[in-house]
Amino acid sequence: MWEWWKKNRSLLFGLALILAALLTYSLGLKDDGRTGWVEGLALRTGGPVLGVAAGARYSVAGIWDAVIPGGSSLDLDAESRRLRAEMAGIEELKRENDRLRRLLGFVEEHPRRSVAARVIAEDASSWFRTIEIDRGYEDGVTEGLSVVDAAGLVGRVVRSTAHAAQVLLITDASSAVAVLVQDERIRGVCRGQGGTLALDFALVQDAIQVGDGVITSGLGGVFPKGLVVGYVRSVHREQFGLFQTVEVEPAVDFAHLEEVLVLLKETP
Amino acid sequence: MQILGYLLLAGLALVLQTVLLPPFFPGGIKPDLVLLLTIWIGLRESPWRGGLLVYGLGWVYDAYAGTFPGLHGFVLLTVFLTVCGMATRLNTESLPLIWCLVGGGTLLQAALTVFAIEFFAETSRFWAVVLNCLPAQMLLNLLFAYLLHNSGRRCRQLADQLPPGLLPRRHES
Repeated sequence: MWEWWKKNRSLLFGLALILAALLTYSLGLKDDGRTGWVEGLALRTGGPVLGVAAGARYSVAGIWDAVIPGGSSLDLDAESRRLRAEMAGIEELKRENDRLRRLLGFVEEHPRRSVAARVIAEDASSWFRTIEIDRGYEDGVTEGLSVVDAAGLVGRVVRSTAHAAQVLLITDASSAVAVLVQDERIRGVCRGQGGTLALDFALVQDAIQVGDGVITSGLGGVFPKGLVVGYVRSVHREQFGLFQTVEVEPAVDFAHLEEVLVLLKETP
Repeated sequence: MQILGYLLLAGLALVLQTVLLPPFFPGGIKPDLVLLLTIWIGLRESPWRGGLLVYGLGWVYDAYAGTFPGLHGFVLLTVFLTVCGMATRLNTESLPLIWCLVGGGTLLQAALTVFAIEFFAETSRFWAVVLNCLPAQMLLNLLFAYLLHNSGRRCRQLADQLPPGLLPRRHES
């Protein structure tokens, strides 16, 4: 017995460690919707670094686009390159101004208290869809708040620290949004599939068509009613089956998301 | 000091994965440099010291990846211990072997993540998302493993060409 223990000691310790880690993960799933101290500490520490890196990335991307359009201007002289870089800076400001103007338009259409935030990072993993924004609970951004951009619904805040927050995008597999197909008023639940959304619980007799608009229904109390979620991309009806398979294209272009609006709680 | 080095590398990997690399890789898929770092630590560190380090690293990774606290702690620890168990029998300088480890590590990471989420959390069709991304993820991880392995070898060659005494002498064990 002692010999067996000595021979397999490392393996057993390893298995015990893995089991303990799995148990800790499993217990951590029963959270109260608040940011844990480890994630909070990591976000607080990393937030400023990511903010600086994101600022540098946006500036370089803007200048790169303007200085080397299609890689055809590599032989420009120094002066013309400097002028192009200056123009690129102005162009970048103009684009930012346009985006903020569109966000302002959204605020005017939906008169709610909101705060604008800059996207500073994307999810580190390829399996999940989250973003980090540069606003936290000191700006009123707390867990559970809805996040939108001018095109429609982006997601909801799941973690918040003083000056940064994490937003779960509607395209993440763990995201579910109660929705309405706008014209037919058909209810359903939109679940994330990485890049697109799947509309669940749409009965086979419901007349859903490609191109139909999908908006939040307001059920469940997580998202306010009437926010654009996306548009129906494809519909498949099986001969035998209760529900149809509906794919929804998100209204928001998540690949080019730079600024968002967080819809704040209404004060009583 | 070595631990600090690993932490700095982990920080750099996270900045690259969250901010600097995403514009170059559409569809939300990016190389998993933290996984590569975990495999590298597995080839160099003892199970206890490396295990604690990787588990802590997994918790930090969780703050920037997904919404499940402790998930990457469990996944990276398992990958680390698997690599650690094989490390003494492997020639860690061989590129094909590194590729095998990275390929196996990517598959193990995907399988463990799907297991942990589908069995413990209320998430539907997560496996489909992983399955969809897995081929591209595997290719990117292998490509970056190749690039990092080659850069490491070049750096060592350059260091060897420097005059003796310019760099601190490495302790042979």
